[in-house]
This record gives sequence, C-alpha cells and structure tokens, in this order.
Amino acid sequence: MADGTTTAELDAPGDLVSVADRLDGWLEELDEPETLVEGRREAWERYRELPMPQTASEEWRYTDVEDLRPEDFGFVEPEAARSVEIEDLPATVQEVLAGEQDRSGVAVQVDAGEVYRRLDPELEEQGVVFAPIVEVARERPELLEDRLFSSEVTDAEEKFWTLHRAIFSGGYLLYVPENVRVPEPVHAFRYLEREDAIVGSHTLVVAERGAEVTCVEEFLSPDLEETSLSVGGVEVFAGENATVRYISLQRYGRGVEHYSVQHATTGKDSHLSGFNVALGSDRHRADVTSHVEGPGSESEMLALWFGDGDQHIDHHTLQYHKAPHAYSDLLYKGALTDRGRSVFRGVIRVAQEAQLTDAYQTNRNLLLSEDSHANALPNLEIEADDVRCSHGATVGQVDESQLFYLKSRGLTPLQAERLLVFGFFEEVLGRVPVEGVRSRVRSAIERKLGF
Amino acid sequence: MSEFTTVATVDDLSEGELMGVEVDGREIVLANRGGTVYALEDCCSHEEFPLSDGEITGDQLTCALHGARFDLETGEAKALPAVMPVDTFECRVEGDEIQVKVGD
Amino acid sequence: MPANETVEELNLDDYQYDFVTKDEPVYKAEKGLSEDVVRQISYHKEEPEWMLDYRLNALEIFNSKPMPDWGADLSDLNLDEIYFYLRPADRMERSWDDVDDEIKETFERLGIPEAERETLAGVGAQYESEMVYHSLKEQWEEQGVVFESIEDGLQMYPDLFKEHFSTVIPPNDNKFAALNSAVWSGGSFVYIPKGVDVDIPLQAYFRVNAEQMGQFERTLIIAEEGSKAHYIEGCTAPVYSTESFHSGVIEIVVKENAHFQYTTIQNWANNMFNLVTQRAKVHSNAKMEWLDGNLGSKATMKYPSCFLVGEGAHGSVLSVAYAGDGQHQDTGGKVIHAAPNTTSQITSKSISKGTGRSSYRGLCQVYEGAENSKSNVECDALLLSETSRTDTYPYIDIDENQATIGHEATVSKVGEEQLFYLMSRGLDEEEAMAMIVRGFIEPIAKKLPLEYAIELNRLIELEMEGSVG
Repeated sequence: MADGTTTAELDAPGDLVSVADRLDGWLEELDEPETLVEGRREAWERYRELPMPQTASEEWRYTDVEDLRPEDFGFVEPEAARSVEIEDLPATVQEVLAGEQDRSGVAVQVDAGEVYRRLDPELEEQGVVFAPIVEVARERPELLEDRLFSSEVTDAEEKFWTLHRAIFSGGYLLYVPENVRVPEPVHAFRYLEREDAIVGSHTLVVAERGAEVTCVEEFLSPDLEETSLSVGGVEVFAGENATVRYISLQRYGRGVEHYSVQHATTGKDSHLSGFNVALGSDRHRADVTSHVEGPGSESEMLALWFGDGDQHIDHHTLQYHKAPHAYSDLLYKGALTDRGRSVFRGVIRVAQEAQLTDAYQTNRNLLLSEDSHANALPNLEIEADDVRCSHGATVGQVDESQLFYLKSRGLTPLQAERLLVFGFFEEVLGRVPVEGVRSRVRSAIERKLGF
Repeated sequence: MSEFTTVATVDDLSEGELMGVEVDGREIVLANRGGTVYALEDCCSHEEFPLSDGEITGDQLTCALHGARFDLETGEAKALPAVMPVDTFECRVEGDEIQVKVGD
Repeated sequence: MPANETVEELNLDDYQYDFVTKDEPVYKAEKGLSEDVVRQISYHKEEPEWMLDYRLNALEIFNSKPMPDWGADLSDLNLDEIYFYLRPADRMERSWDDVDDEIKETFERLGIPEAERETLAGVGAQYESEMVYHSLKEQWEEQGVVFESIEDGLQMYPDLFKEHFSTVIPPNDNKFAALNSAVWSGGSFVYIPKGVDVDIPLQAYFRVNAEQMGQFERTLIIAEEGSKAHYIEGCTAPVYSTESFHSGVIEIVVKENAHFQYTTIQNWANNMFNLVTQRAKVHSNAKMEWLDGNLGSKATMKYPSCFLVGEGAHGSVLSVAYAGDGQHQDTGGKVIHAAPNTTSQITSKSISKGTGRSSYRGLCQVYEGAENSKSNVECDALLLSETSRTDTYPYIDIDENQATIGHEATVSKVGEEQLFYLMSRGLDEEEAMAMIVRGFIEPIAKKLPLEYAIELNRLIELEMEGSVG
C-alpha cells in the first residue's frame, strides 16, 4: 500500500522531454556555476559510454536492469526555489510535518524543485549551512571542494552514479562547523508526483571536527500509473571526533523505482551511523558504502525492509576498513510477504594496514509467504591478520515455538505472527535515535501487516 | 477452454531440430525426434535459459547453458544441475500443421 | 631425499613428495589440446563410438566457454604447454608384483601397498594418465562390489556406465568439466550393491610424475539402496619449475537410504593447478559426506556439492584448507535442497600463512517445495601472518519459506590470551601455536580414519614450524 495517496497539484505538469533529447541542449543554457555544468557534462558523457549493468555481473545478478532505459524517461529540469505555504504542501508531507515539532531544519522538494526550507536561525548564526548545492556552489564553493561527487564508486555503481551526477536536482548541503551540535534532526522531504519522469536528489553532509548532526531524508510519492525513476546519491563526511547520523526513509508509492548510491567516510575517532529503510516503491536498490578511514572510528550500518506485492528490494553494502583500530557493525533485517523478493550482498573488506579491526555483519531474513524469495550473500575479504571479523546470515520463518507460546496465551495465529514480525524489526528500530522515524516505520509495517 | 493452436508447419521443423514458439504468451520449444513432435516449456528449470538453444540427445532435450537434460515425453529432469521438471504440452500434427494445446 | 624416509621426517616446507621417477612412457600425445589429441586418447582406450562423440562434443563446449573471471588466478596456466595424455604402461595390473618396476618404486615410497594390506578394502593407483594398478579384496568382490578403473568400468559394465555417466556433471556444467569430459583418463568406477556395507575404505592414489603434465581423472560411483562405503583419494606430484595441471570430475549417485563418504587429501606440489568438479546426487533418506582436505597445489578451485533430490536426504561438506606462501585455496561447498525435509551442513576451516590466501565459496539453495529444509554453514578462518588473506563468499538463494537457513563465519588471529595461557602451562610458542591450530581443525580430523587423522595433524604441525615471530 502506498504511503502517499493524495496528489497536491502545485502546477499542472506539462509534457516532459526525455533526458537523452533534452540534456545536451539544456547543459548549454544552464544557469549554474561552470564547475557544476562541467561536472554534469563529464558525467553525462561517461554515462553514455557505459553499458547498463548486466545480470552476468556479481553485483547485478539478481536485479535485472538490462532493459531499463533511464535516458528515455522524462527529464524534470531543476526549478528555481519557490516558496509555498505549509498548507499548500502535499497532504502526506503536511501530515508528517504536523506530527513532529522538534526539528532543527526542514526542507521540502516536489519533483525537482524546492518549495519549502527552514533552518533554526540560531544554528545559522553558528555557521550551520543547509542550502541547495547550486546555491552553495555560487556563494561558498569552498564548502563543496573535494567533497561533492568525490566518492570513489565501484564499477558496478558507476552507471547510476554518472546518471545521478548528470541530472541531479535540488540537492542539499548540510554543513556543520567545528564543535557545533545540531540538537534536533534536519529533515529533507523528497516528494515525487510526476509520472514517466526521472529525478535525482543529492545529499551532502559534512560534519567538521567535534560536530554532531542527524540528517533524515524521506522519499514520498502517491501511487503512480506510469513508472518514474528516482536516482539518488548521498555523500557523508564525519570529521575527527564528529558524530553523524544519516537516515533514509523510502516510502514511495507503487510505480516508482528507487536507485541510490551512498558513500560515507569516517574521520579519526568519529561516530557514523547510517539507517536505510525500504518500505515503498516497486523496486529499491541501494549501494551503501562505509569508508572506515579514521583510526579509532566507528561505523554503524542499519537497515530494515518489508516487501509485499511484487516489491523487489536489493541492498549492496561495503564496510571498507582502511585504518587501524576501527569498528564497524552492520545489521540488515528484512521481511517479505506475497511475492516479495530481496537481495542482500554485503562485503567486509579489511586492508592490510587496518590491523585491530573489529567488523561485524548480520543479515536476517523473514519469509512470511510461500512465494517470497530471499538471496543473501555476505562476503568477507580480509587482508590484515590481527582482526576480529564475523558475519552471519539467516533465512527463515517466524519461530514456531514462539508462535506456539503466543497462541497458548490466547492470541490468534495472525496476531501472534504480527507480534513476532514487530519483535523481529525492533532489534533494528530500537537503535534509531529519532522517535518520529521509529513511529512512522512502525505504522507503515502495521499497514503492511494489515492492521 | 483451451484448444489446439497451430504454431508451425512440418516443413519448419526437420528431424532432430528444435524451435521456439509462443502460444498465449507462453514460450514453448518444439522438438522433432524421429518424426514425433514434442512440446515443452522453453525455459530450463535450473537457470532461466531457452531450451530451444539446446539439442536433442536420444530421448532427452539438453540445455545448452549447463547441460541439464529433460525427458522429451514427460519433462522430467534427467541430468543435473536441473532438479525440477519443465512443463509439457499436448502436441499433434494435423496435415502439415504442428498444433499445441496450452492448458488453462 | 632418501627412499626410506619415514612419515616422522616429512616436512611440507621441504616437500616430501618431491622425487622424480625416471621412466619411459609407452605413449605420449603431443603437447597442447586438439581434436587429434582427443581422438588419440579415445583410440588408445578402444572406446565405443558414443564416447568419442561425447568427447568431441565436450571439446567444442570447452572451446566455447570463457575462462572463469573469479576465484584463483589462472593466468599462469598455459594449456598449450601441457601434455594432455601420457600413457605410462601398456596395461593395468592386479598384482603389485606385475607393476612396472619404476612405477612400483614410486608407490612403494608413498607407502601404498603397505596400506592396502593393512587397512583398505581396495586400492587403485593412477600414474600420469592411466590407472596402473587396481585391486579389491576378495570378500568384497564376492558381495558384488565393483572397484575398477573407469576404462574397465566402461568396457565391463557398458549399460550401467552409460545410464549414470555424465548425468551428475554434464560437460556444459563449467569450462573444466568440459575439458575433463573431452580428455578424461583414469579414475575409478565404483559400484556398491544394494545393502552392502563396505566397512573399511577404498582408496585411489593419484600421482603425477612427468613435467608439464595434465591429469584428468574421471570417477563414477553408484551406491545402491541401503549400501554404505567410504572412498579416499590422495594426490601428490614432484615439484617442477613449470606448472602442472589436475582437473578431475567425480560423479556420485547415492540411492535411497545409502550412505557414502568421499574423502580427499590433496597434497599436490605447489606448482599444480587443481581445478576439480565433485558432485553427488542424493536420493531419499540417503546421506552423502564430502571430506575435503586441501593442503597442496598452487591454486585449487573445488566446491564439492550435494544435490538433495529425495525427501529426507542429507548432505554434508567438511572442508579444511591450508594456504601457505604463494598458495590460493579457493574451496568450499554447495548444497541444493530440492526435496522436503532435507538437511545439510557445511563446515569450513581454513588457515592462511605467509602470502597464502584461502577463500571460502559456497552455495546454499532451497527450491520452492523443499519444505522443512534445514541448512547450516559455518566457516572459520585463521590468519597466521600479516601478509595472508582470507575471503568468504557464500551464496544463499531461498525460494521456500518453510526452511531454516543459517550461515556464520568468523576470521581471527591466534589469540594472544590463548597463547599466553598455553605457554604459562609450559609449552613453547611453537608448540602452543600447533596445539591451537590442531584444536581448530579437530572437527575435520576426527571424521577421518585414524591413520589419516594422524597424518593430517602431523602435516599441519610441520607447517607451523617457523610460523612464530
């Protein structure tokens, strides 16, 4: 079931021209700083050289995009920021906004244009920046230097990454200066309502030494008749001793395919936490990398998904340890019902210089229906010798003995199963420090379980 | 109600040959073994691959990808790596027409 | 190295099997692979027409398949420089006394005839491309057990052979299965009749003596309903400056309620490429156990598998790998659950030392309808040096919700605390290390017949020498 069921028509959408037909000319007339335009042009050229990922490759074996032609989708040009009143925002967004008061910043983007943004003025005074990337590129380009699109992506990620770089729209920089603590989450909503369209949001989070921030990115849409693509990119940098939490909450309606490439880098003694939730869309594919580059740093990677109908949910992760004495812990849990299908492929890679690494990886899958299907591929590649690494993956159904126990206490089989599914997810949810996110995820799961 | 559909003529399929056809959206492989025509699901049960790219080996159909073999008559898996059968369809020759019946 | 060397003196860092026997082969095919070589092999074996056709078809498949782009680095494997067929003697003997003197000397140095007298039900010995000796104790022969060279199996039991041959591993399965199917030579044909329990092992011994030699043994085993047997293969070769190549195909059919164990102790010289396909088809309530010890070779790619096709079938793979300097052991196991109530267990233990690299690669697949299947995979890797490397690549593919699948893997260094404790009990560091490693591989060693367990422990212990510091 879709989370967004209403469409707020801010503008009547006109006909879209495909990316392939529009991009060349558009790049010529684009009113953006030259570095951005040049970056888009390079990425677009590279994109056109690269073939679509093939199922013959390890990384795309279970997600077939061979026939997908992203360049034929309608190109939604990034629009200049507009200001609308809260009551003009899509109802689903309003609902979420009303439910939570405690935010240090909020931004709302509809399709490719920003419609609303607010940042706590006190934080602004302390030097926190929460602004569109295009605006930052004009006014404070030094904040983007060596950071924006600097991630070393793998061959398997490059096709969608170059596409994202060429077409990205309405991306944000969230910048937190040294020793500044952003007390409440900064929340960016990405609302998609155009059909047959392609959009790409970029999120860049930079926390300087000793800074602390939580960034929530939430993807919403109504159910769409004609498929639209969301091709996102995320880059997170945690400076020395900084604490950064990044949460991606994907609650698109049906008819959307979401592809996301996420790279996070830890500085010395920093704490990084990433949480990916996939509940909506027809197809969700996220490539999530944690570059553990700071000695003594910690990286926590969490994810939760619940696939129903014909949903296809694919997570690829890499815990790349390049510095000694660091710690990473991954916990990805997913449940499937109906004809849902999931893929998890996770790699722990420990370079030779990353001695005294502690790295863990756990993937648990719950199959609730006969026609659901899960693939799990947890990998270890260890080149250092003084390490503690382990991984585990399980696929199974709800525990019979627990089910039996609950039924003996008077619960119906359906109630008992729901309770156990909740219990299954609580292990992940309990580690997420944002109450609003927890409650929205819980209610989405309830809806999927048919409460 | 399903009925026989004409999918090819006998001239299209000489002895020892395979050909892929489509009936009601189902991919079907026709196999002519010694003048008898068999119709099976055109998809190997091991890893989805068209059996029409394979070959007839005795009374079996061999998949070109990994060598799995299926009984032409029953669709039963006869050689690993396939373990599951493929569907079979009723097939007849009427005059010079090859006809296949796809169940509901 | 003296001929009377005892097992106590063996040391792998100074590879004990590194001796060359001087002999003249009776036939040596030209170097490299060609249709002509394939025809020569078939001609020398006086094969039926269908087998020649099968070989030629397999050669075509081999040529059409790309080299694997994963696993061990095979770039040093130059097939044009390999002899694919080398016939050492004109016929196979059934008594050691009749075996050609030079060849006999080789096997005597390896202790084979002795072992046969004492602990084995039957022995086969392959030298280069052919089995030179095969014998089975009378009591088993009387019960209808067949233990022959694969060539004799084809000649003596043509129908049984044809019924099962290539039904477990077709040539298209992978590039090296295709190669083996084209040029196979040597290996065993084993038939265990219904209800017969062969309670002491059958053993085959594989020796490559010549330089740049390719050995392609092919083994077909049929264990009838309710039977039980254990087959052991051992492999060695001298060390040459150029690479040699071993690529076997082992097919096993385990029928209802039968129980079969297949053990490999592979100790090839460390310039051998060892690319082997081993697979068992396991029927209802039958049990298949693979025990795979990979200690030698330059690069090994080998993943024994169990296709559990009958209800209640059980498959297990116990794998121990040791990767020393310059070695890559890419090993593991596969279990495919295709029927209800099937169970499987994969246990893998690897040790990497120096520049050695060990990789676990595995598959656990559950088909829809294989209800109540249970599979458990445990991998432990021990790293002994800063330069050693280990990888774990399991594939889990589940299409049935009434199944319970688990995979766990750990990587660790020998614990300082553990070492300290043992040393405080009076052991020196090397002894302590050896004890920890022994404890680490114990689950494998205890599944082996005693004398093999002792040898395995001994090999590991000697490998540990000089590993401290």
